[in-house]
Amino acid sequence: MQANGKSERPSERHHAAVWQARLIMLVMINIAQLWILAATVDAALARHYAVLVPLVIASGVCFLITLSIIRWWRPISRRKTSTGYVRTSLKDQ
Amino acid sequence: MKKLNQTIERVLKDEDDVRTATAPYQAEFPYERDEEAQVTRREFCNFLGLTSAALFLGAGGFAAKAALDARSSESFTTAQIAGAEMLAPNSSLNFNYPSERDSAILIRTADGAYHAYGQKCTHLSCPVYYSRDHQRLECPCHEGAFDAATGNVLYGPPPRALDTIQVEVRDGQVWAVGRKTSGGEHAS
Repeated sequence: MQANGKSERPSERHHAAVWQARLIMLVMINIAQLWILAATVDAALARHYAVLVPLVIASGVCFLITLSIIRWWRPISRRKTSTGYVRTSLKDQ
Repeated sequence: MKKLNQTIERVLKDEDDVRTATAPYQAEFPYERDEEAQVTRREFCNFLGLTSAALFLGAGGFAAKAALDARSSESFTTAQIAGAEMLAPNSSLNFNYPSERDSAILIRTADGAYHAYGQKCTHLSCPVYYSRDHQRLECPCHEGAFDAATGNVLYGPPPRALDTIQVEVRDGQVWAVGRKTSGGEHAS
Protein backbone atom coordinates (compact mmCIF):
# COMPACT_ATOMS: atom_id res chain seq x y z
CA MET A 1 0.00 0.00 0.00
CA GLN A 2 1.27 3.47 -0.91
CA ALA A 3 0.61 6.45 1.31
CA ASN A 4 2.35 9.80 0.88
CA GLY A 5 4.91 8.20 -1.38
CA LYS A 6 5.98 5.70 1.32
CA SER A 7 4.99 2.09 1.63
CA GLU A 8 3.16 1.24 4.85
CA ARG A 9 4.31 -1.76 6.84
CA PRO A 10 1.69 -4.39 7.67
CA SER A 11 1.93 -3.57 11.37
CA GLU A 12 1.11 0.08 10.67
CA ARG A 13 -1.92 -0.95 8.65
CA HIS A 14 -3.14 -3.17 11.48
CA HIS A 15 -2.41 -0.44 13.98
CA ALA A 16 -4.52 2.05 12.02
CA ALA A 17 -7.31 -0.49 11.63
CA VAL A 18 -7.44 -1.08 15.38
CA TRP A 19 -7.48 2.64 16.07
CA GLN A 20 -10.29 3.09 13.58
CA ALA A 21 -12.27 0.23 15.13
CA ARG A 22 -11.81 1.75 18.59
CA LEU A 23 -13.05 5.14 17.45
CA ILE A 24 -16.04 3.68 15.64
CA MET A 25 -17.01 1.64 18.70
CA LEU A 26 -16.64 4.65 20.99
CA VAL A 27 -18.79 6.81 18.72
CA MET A 28 -21.46 4.10 18.55
CA ILE A 29 -21.49 3.74 22.33
CA ASN A 30 -21.79 7.52 22.71
CA ILE A 31 -24.79 7.53 20.36
CA ALA A 32 -26.38 4.70 22.37
CA GLN A 33 -25.80 6.68 25.56
CA LEU A 34 -27.41 9.74 24.03
CA TRP A 35 -30.46 7.65 23.24
CA ILE A 36 -30.48 6.28 26.81
CA LEU A 37 -30.30 9.80 28.22
CA ALA A 38 -33.25 10.88 26.05
CA ALA A 39 -35.21 7.83 27.21
CA THR A 40 -34.34 8.65 30.85
CA VAL A 41 -35.62 12.22 30.49
CA ASP A 42 -38.79 10.93 28.82
CA ALA A 43 -39.38 8.33 31.54
CA ALA A 44 -38.75 10.84 34.34
CA LEU A 45 -41.19 13.37 32.88
CA ALA A 46 -43.76 10.62 32.34
CA ARG A 47 -43.17 9.40 35.92
CA HIS A 48 -42.37 5.88 34.74
CA TYR A 49 -40.00 5.27 37.61
CA ALA A 50 -39.68 1.53 37.05
CA VAL A 51 -37.59 2.01 33.91
CA LEU A 52 -35.25 4.64 35.35
CA VAL A 53 -32.93 2.22 37.15
CA PRO A 54 -32.45 -0.12 34.14
CA LEU A 55 -31.71 2.91 31.96
CA VAL A 56 -29.09 4.25 34.36
CA ILE A 57 -27.54 0.78 34.64
CA ALA A 58 -27.44 0.52 30.83
CA SER A 59 -25.73 3.91 30.64
CA GLY A 60 -23.24 2.78 33.30
CA VAL A 61 -22.45 -0.40 31.36
CA CYS A 62 -21.85 1.70 28.24
CA PHE A 63 -19.50 3.93 30.22
CA LEU A 64 -17.60 0.90 31.55
CA ILE A 65 -17.23 -0.47 28.02
CA THR A 66 -15.96 2.94 26.87
CA LEU A 67 -13.51 3.01 29.74
CA SER A 68 -12.26 -0.50 28.96
CA ILE A 69 -11.80 0.36 25.28
CA ILE A 70 -9.83 3.51 26.09
CA ARG A 71 -7.82 1.97 28.89
CA TRP A 72 -7.12 -1.60 27.85
CA TRP A 73 -8.15 -2.36 24.30
CA ARG A 74 -5.09 -1.12 22.42
CA PRO A 75 -3.27 -2.11 19.24
CA ILE A 76 -0.92 -5.11 19.78
CA SER A 77 2.02 -3.12 18.43
CA ARG A 78 2.06 -1.42 21.79
CA ARG A 79 3.52 -3.20 24.75
CA LYS A 80 2.67 -2.37 28.35
CA THR A 81 5.61 -1.44 30.54
CA SER A 82 5.88 -0.18 34.09
CA THR A 83 5.77 3.38 32.78
CA GLY A 84 2.83 2.85 30.49
CA TYR A 85 2.41 1.85 26.88
CA VAL A 86 5.33 2.13 24.47
CA ARG A 87 5.54 1.42 20.78
CA THR A 88 7.69 -1.60 19.98
CA SER A 89 9.83 -1.82 16.88
CA LEU A 90 8.94 -4.29 14.13
CA LYS A 91 11.81 -6.66 14.90
CA ASP A 92 10.66 -6.97 18.54
CA GLN A 93 7.34 -8.49 17.46
CA MET B 1 -15.86 36.30 -11.88
CA LYS B 2 -12.44 37.73 -12.64
CA LYS B 3 -12.81 40.13 -9.74
CA LEU B 4 -13.68 37.24 -7.42
CA ASN B 5 -10.58 35.32 -8.50
CA GLN B 6 -8.45 38.38 -7.90
CA THR B 7 -9.90 38.77 -4.42
CA ILE B 8 -9.25 35.10 -3.60
CA GLU B 9 -5.68 35.39 -4.83
CA ARG B 10 -5.12 38.56 -2.79
CA VAL B 11 -6.49 36.92 0.37
CA LEU B 12 -4.33 33.85 -0.12
CA LYS B 13 -1.28 36.03 -0.75
CA ASP B 14 -2.00 37.98 2.45
CA GLU B 15 -2.14 34.68 4.31
CA ASP B 16 1.28 33.71 2.91
CA ASP B 17 2.65 37.09 3.89
CA VAL B 18 1.41 36.68 7.45
CA ARG B 19 2.97 33.24 7.71
CA THR B 20 6.30 34.54 6.44
CA ALA B 21 6.15 37.53 8.74
CA THR B 22 5.50 35.44 11.83
CA ALA B 23 8.08 32.78 10.97
CA PRO B 24 10.99 34.27 13.05
CA TYR B 25 8.77 34.49 16.10
CA GLN B 26 7.71 30.89 15.76
CA ALA B 27 11.22 29.79 16.77
CA GLU B 28 10.67 31.30 20.20
CA PHE B 29 6.95 30.63 20.35
CA PRO B 30 6.43 27.45 18.31
CA TYR B 31 2.77 27.77 17.51
CA GLU B 32 1.81 25.89 14.35
CA ARG B 33 -1.58 26.87 13.09
CA ASP B 34 -1.92 23.87 10.79
CA GLU B 35 -1.09 21.43 13.55
CA GLU B 36 -3.31 23.26 16.01
CA ALA B 37 -6.31 22.62 13.75
CA GLN B 38 -5.68 18.87 13.85
CA VAL B 39 -7.21 16.64 16.49
CA THR B 40 -5.22 13.53 17.25
CA ARG B 41 -6.86 10.14 17.60
CA ARG B 42 -5.87 10.03 21.24
CA GLU B 43 -7.50 13.40 21.94
CA PHE B 44 -10.66 12.33 20.13
CA CYS B 45 -10.69 9.06 22.11
CA ASN B 46 -10.37 10.96 25.38
CA PHE B 47 -13.11 13.35 24.31
CA LEU B 48 -15.44 10.41 23.61
CA GLY B 49 -14.56 8.94 27.00
CA LEU B 50 -15.40 12.20 28.77
CA THR B 51 -18.63 12.50 26.78
CA SER B 52 -19.57 8.98 27.84
CA ALA B 53 -18.93 9.86 31.50
CA ALA B 54 -20.99 13.04 31.16
CA LEU B 55 -23.90 11.18 29.57
CA PHE B 56 -23.80 8.54 32.32
CA LEU B 57 -23.76 11.20 35.04
CA GLY B 58 -26.56 13.07 33.27
CA ALA B 59 -28.78 10.00 33.13
CA GLY B 60 -27.99 9.15 36.76
CA GLY B 61 -28.59 12.70 37.94
CA PHE B 62 -31.87 13.00 36.10
CA ALA B 63 -33.11 9.68 37.49
CA ALA B 64 -32.01 10.61 41.02
CA LYS B 65 -33.80 13.96 40.83
CA ALA B 66 -36.98 12.32 39.54
CA ALA B 67 -36.87 9.73 42.33
CA LEU B 68 -36.31 12.44 44.97
CA ASP B 69 -39.17 14.54 43.62
CA ALA B 70 -41.46 11.51 43.76
CA ARG B 71 -40.54 10.74 47.37
CA SER B 72 -40.93 14.24 48.73
CA SER B 73 -44.45 14.75 50.07
CA GLU B 74 -45.67 18.29 49.57
CA SER B 75 -48.22 19.94 51.77
CA PHE B 76 -50.38 22.47 50.01
CA THR B 77 -51.78 25.65 51.37
CA THR B 78 -55.08 27.09 50.28
CA ALA B 79 -54.82 30.13 48.04
CA GLN B 80 -57.39 32.36 46.48
CA ILE B 81 -57.16 32.75 42.72
CA ALA B 82 -57.47 36.49 42.18
CA GLY B 83 -59.81 37.55 39.40
CA ALA B 84 -61.24 34.07 38.86
CA GLU B 85 -64.76 35.09 39.82
CA MET B 86 -64.85 37.52 36.90
CA LEU B 87 -63.67 34.91 34.41
CA ALA B 88 -66.08 34.57 31.50
CA PRO B 89 -67.15 31.08 30.37
CA ASN B 90 -64.87 29.49 27.73
CA SER B 91 -61.82 31.47 28.84
CA SER B 92 -58.73 30.98 30.95
CA LEU B 93 -56.60 32.70 33.55
CA ASN B 94 -52.97 32.13 34.53
CA PHE B 95 -51.93 31.98 38.16
CA ASN B 96 -49.18 30.47 40.29
CA TYR B 97 -49.75 27.55 42.61
CA PRO B 98 -48.54 26.09 45.00
CA SER B 99 -45.49 28.36 44.85
CA GLU B 100 -44.71 31.47 42.82
CA ARG B 101 -42.50 29.36 40.55
CA ASP B 102 -45.26 26.92 39.61
CA SER B 103 -47.34 28.38 36.84
CA ALA B 104 -50.88 27.08 36.52
CA ILE B 105 -53.89 27.71 34.34
CA LEU B 106 -57.51 28.08 35.44
CA ILE B 107 -60.19 27.33 32.86
CA ARG B 108 -63.84 28.17 33.01
CA THR B 109 -65.54 25.88 30.55
CA ALA B 110 -68.60 26.82 28.53
CA ASP B 111 -70.88 25.22 31.14
CA GLY B 112 -69.45 27.52 33.84
CA ALA B 113 -67.37 24.92 35.72
CA TYR B 114 -63.85 25.72 36.92
CA HIS B 115 -60.88 23.43 36.20
CA ALA B 116 -57.25 24.16 36.99
CA TYR B 117 -54.05 22.45 35.86
CA GLY B 118 -50.32 22.82 36.14
CA GLN B 119 -49.25 24.70 33.03
CA LYS B 120 -46.27 22.50 32.20
CA CYS B 121 -46.87 20.04 29.39
CA THR B 122 -46.09 16.51 30.55
CA HIS B 123 -44.03 15.89 27.43
CA LEU B 124 -41.15 18.37 27.73
CA SER B 125 -42.52 21.02 30.11
CA CYS B 126 -43.58 23.64 27.56
CA PRO B 127 -46.39 25.88 28.85
CA VAL B 128 -49.82 24.83 27.61
CA TYR B 129 -52.50 27.37 26.70
CA TYR B 130 -56.28 27.24 26.41
CA SER B 131 -57.61 27.18 22.87
CA ARG B 132 -61.04 28.81 22.95
CA ASP B 133 -61.86 27.67 19.42
CA HIS B 134 -61.24 24.00 20.16
CA GLN B 135 -62.09 24.19 23.88
CA ARG B 136 -59.01 22.24 24.86
CA LEU B 137 -55.53 22.84 26.23
CA GLU B 138 -52.84 22.81 23.59
CA CYS B 139 -49.08 22.59 23.73
CA PRO B 140 -47.48 24.69 20.98
CA CYS B 141 -44.09 22.95 21.12
CA HIS B 142 -44.96 19.47 19.85
CA GLU B 143 -48.67 19.79 19.13
CA GLY B 144 -50.04 17.86 22.06
CA ALA B 145 -53.56 18.52 23.35
CA PHE B 146 -55.37 17.92 26.64
CA ASP B 147 -59.03 17.75 27.54
CA ALA B 148 -60.15 20.95 29.26
CA ALA B 149 -62.50 19.17 31.67
CA THR B 150 -60.25 16.29 32.76
CA GLY B 151 -56.70 17.19 31.73
CA ASN B 152 -56.36 13.87 29.92
CA VAL B 153 -54.27 13.61 26.78
CA LEU B 154 -56.33 13.96 23.60
CA TYR B 155 -53.50 13.46 21.14
CA GLY B 156 -49.82 14.12 20.62
CA PRO B 157 -46.65 13.07 22.43
CA PRO B 158 -47.53 13.83 26.11
CA PRO B 159 -47.30 10.55 28.04
CA ARG B 160 -49.75 11.40 30.83
CA ALA B 161 -52.46 13.85 31.85
CA LEU B 162 -51.70 17.32 33.19
CA ASP B 163 -51.21 17.79 36.93
CA THR B 164 -54.58 18.72 38.37
CA ILE B 165 -55.08 21.59 40.79
CA GLN B 166 -58.10 21.08 42.97
CA VAL B 167 -60.32 24.16 43.11
CA GLU B 168 -63.24 25.06 45.33
CA VAL B 169 -65.74 27.88 45.03
CA ARG B 170 -66.40 29.53 48.40
CA ASP B 171 -68.76 32.50 48.59
CA GLY B 172 -68.23 33.27 44.93
CA GLN B 173 -64.43 33.20 45.28
CA VAL B 174 -62.33 30.51 43.63
CA TRP B 175 -59.69 28.84 45.78
CA ALA B 176 -56.91 26.43 44.93
CA VAL B 177 -56.73 23.78 47.66
CA GLY B 178 -54.30 21.13 46.39
CA ARG B 179 -52.34 19.76 43.53
CA LYS B 180 -52.47 16.20 42.30
CA THR B 181 -49.96 14.58 40.00
CA SER B 182 -51.79 12.46 37.51
CA GLY B 183 -50.71 9.18 35.93
CA GLY B 184 -47.30 7.52 36.26
CA GLU B 185 -46.08 5.43 39.16
CA HIS B 186 -44.92 6.17 42.64
CA ALA B 187 -41.29 5.60 43.51
CA SER B 188 -40.84 2.55 45.68
